[in-house]
Amino acid sequence: MTLADSLRSRRWQLWAALLLLVGALLGVLVFLAAEYEESREQTLLERDAELLVNELRNELLRNVQTLQSLQSNAPSPDSWSVPAAEVLDRHREMIRIEWRDNRLRPLAHRNTPYWMDPYVLLDRERAIADIRQACDNASRVSGPAYSSNYFWPMGDGLGAEMMEMCLPLVRAGQPNGYLVVAYSLPGLLSERLGKDLLRGRGLSVVEPDGTRLALHSTIPANPRNLFAQSLLDLPGHTLLIRLDSPRAPAQLFPNVLTAVVSLLSLALLAVLALLARDMRRRQRAEQDLADALAFRKAMENSLVTGLRARDMRGRITYVNPAFCQMVGFAADELLGTGLPAPWWPPELIDEYQQRQAVRLAGQLLPREGFESVFQRKDGTRFPVLIIEAPLIDAQGTQTGFMSAILDLTEQRRIEDINRSAQERLQATARLATMGEMASLLSHELNQPLAAIASYTTGTLNLLQDPAGQGWADDVRLAVKRIAEQAERAGRVIKSVSDFVRRRQSVHEVVAPAALFDAIAPLLLLQAKKQGVRVSVQVKPGTPDVRCDRTMVEQVLLNLARNGMQAMPEGEPPQTSGLRVLRLSAEVKHANAERAWVQFAVTDYGHGLDPDVQAQLFTPFVSTKPEGMGLGLSLCRTVVEQHGGHLHYAAAVPRGTVFQFTLPAA
Amino acid sequence: MTPQNDAKVFIVDDDQGVRDALSWLLRTRRLLSECHSGAQEFWAEINAWTHPPDVPCCVLLDVRMPGMSGLELFERLLAQPWAAVMPVIFLSGHADVPTAVDAVKRGAFDFCEKPFSDNALVDRVEQALAQSAGVLAKWREAQAVDQKMQSLTERERDVMRLVAAGLPNKLVADQLDISVRTVEVHRARVFDKMGVKSAVELANLLRDA
Repeated sequence: MTLADSLRSRRWQLWAALLLLVGALLGVLVFLAAEYEESREQTLLERDAELLVNELRNELLRNVQTLQSLQSNAPSPDSWSVPAAEVLDRHREMIRIEWRDNRLRPLAHRNTPYWMDPYVLLDRERAIADIRQACDNASRVSGPAYSSNYFWPMGDGLGAEMMEMCLPLVRAGQPNGYLVVAYSLPGLLSERLGKDLLRGRGLSVVEPDGTRLALHSTIPANPRNLFAQSLLDLPGHTLLIRLDSPRAPAQLFPNVLTAVVSLLSLALLAVLALLARDMRRRQRAEQDLADALAFRKAMENSLVTGLRARDMRGRITYVNPAFCQMVGFAADELLGTGLPAPWWPPELIDEYQQRQAVRLAGQLLPREGFESVFQRKDGTRFPVLIIEAPLIDAQGTQTGFMSAILDLTEQRRIEDINRSAQERLQATARLATMGEMASLLSHELNQPLAAIASYTTGTLNLLQDPAGQGWADDVRLAVKRIAEQAERAGRVIKSVSDFVRRRQSVHEVVAPAALFDAIAPLLLLQAKKQGVRVSVQVKPGTPDVRCDRTMVEQVLLNLARNGMQAMPEGEPPQTSGLRVLRLSAEVKHANAERAWVQFAVTDYGHGLDPDVQAQLFTPFVSTKPEGMGLGLSLCRTVVEQHGGHLHYAAAVPRGTVFQFTLPAA
Repeated sequence: MTPQNDAKVFIVDDDQGVRDALSWLLRTRRLLSECHSGAQEFWAEINAWTHPPDVPCCVLLDVRMPGMSGLELFERLLAQPWAAVMPVIFLSGHADVPTAVDAVKRGAFDFCEKPFSDNALVDRVEQALAQSAGVLAKWREAQAVDQKMQSLTERERDVMRLVAAGLPNKLVADQLDISVRTVEVHRARVFDKMGVKSAVELANLLRDA
């Protein structure tokens, strides 16, 4: 099983545990809520039971007053019967009202009209013990008193729980018998109590052991019913009243609280799920980010281009391995270092500082990069190409610079090799062409010359011949032939110069500066190689010149190269600042008709030896091992073709200046 | 300024001016010359020869010519049996010098670089002609011996061979299985026909031929 699989199964286990916990929490909440509900209902029930008991008590008290009114106007037993019947009509809980004398002998009685005579099966006097008990109590407290309840059977197996109430009667301060009322307990419960209080409930009178004595109920009996018991204590007797209420049916959401809690739990679960998903997504994003980071790292490490980042104060914030390798410093040595950077050659620090200042001033960086020189840790120098771009953070503010640095050493070397190879090749080609030309030319010239030589030799032969007479004609012929052959040689020469002239020189108007610009790239290449600085100066107001541009450029290039070669490496030394080749142009000999522009190429070499000076413009004489000795003579020819002249002089304080003039346009 | 008739210089050059000038120069030294404008043309003429020219001769040959070059003509001349009778002097421009030197190594008489300013060329021509004359004389001698040999009979030739080898008559007779007398007769006739007076002379003549 792979790591990922085990992680996944563990995740599911965690999820299952979480679900279980939430479920348990919900269950407990529901249970507690139900419990709370039940206890609330119980309290309600108990309060209702109390209310009921009070009402019952009040009812019984009112009954006592009603009954006292029966005796108020001293009735006779006969006259008593009618109001007693009325009372019975109104109070269904009363089974029988009796008027008894002091010794409890019945004087009059009246039965309830709602019942069949309950004293058919058993005689009323069988209840005399309870009556007596009640009346004894009543006479003792001088008020109404009640007997214990008892079961009074009535035919057909029926019967009812009864209770006697005895009210002592007083007339003129003397006891005057008793008024006894037989109450039916079920009747008491059913008739005298408001139905509203009992909706959905059961009311009963019970024994302390729970035996039900009388019941008034609209609900079935159930042991799981809620109940409340309350004591109805009456003078002489105490009844235990029980109020039953069915338990509310089991509900999934027994109340709002549970519902809200469940909803919240579900919401919590949902949020958890969302959170988990979000986390997973975040993890994936982090994974992707790590991958991208690793990718970038590998990319940076595989680069041969050096990368370097700096903050706005020039401190290094990042270097890649290629850069470290390039400059020979470890990354730790470089990070955090400011300006001047450790790789700056000491003598160039000022220049680089200026460059940095320009950069920080917000000037645009050249997109194609710029070349520079770095110094390795071991002190060796190497040329580099730096391409820079501003580092912009996520808020869009510039935080520094990112530079890509290319080591140009190898490139330079190859360039040098290529260039020298190409130069050699060109020289060879030039020599070959020249050789071919010379061979052809020499052949063409040799023929007439050979002929001329033959004639002259022959003529000499004739003149020397002592016996020679009559050779005058021969000599004449020979001389004529010589003239012909000489003319022929002249034609050869002429055809050559015609050939040369056939390259039509196009004279155009061109600014002196443009001439310098045209040769600048070639010149700077060589100048860099030889450590020579080239200074170009065109005096203001110098007019344009009319010339064959290509040829004049060639002349300038030739003179400039000669000038640089006059300053061999180390002479004057690199640090002297005197290794300068000056190119200049100014107006000269200006008059109304014609103006001339003088070009000058001045070097700082050792000047020209007298030997060299003597043969300076002689063709095919060169001081250079590879030279053909045509350069300066060609230069002079070109200048003279333009009507100008080329000359040289010693420069001050040293060196040589070559000057030539061209007509202004 | 009458040219001698006993020698002839062939000038092969594509340039008429050079041809004429050379011819004229040679004439001032009394040398007869014959001009040819190209190797092709010259070869067409001498190709048919079975004999060398009857006078000493030499060839002034330009290296660089259109059509057949001087070198090619030289190769063909070398292949001729009488090549030695006709020495070749190359005329070369500056650029052709190595080629000409190479040709000299392979048997050319000499080369002269153009332009030639003095009589050196003519002197070399005369030396070439002298060499040619020597070779021609020998060639002629050999031709003469051949002719005399042709006149001998079969038997006379056998006898001559043995006599020239230095055998006495008796041994010659034994070898050829003829009588000594007969040998002596043959021998006398051989001597007569070959124009010699002794066996030694005969031997020399045969050796040279």
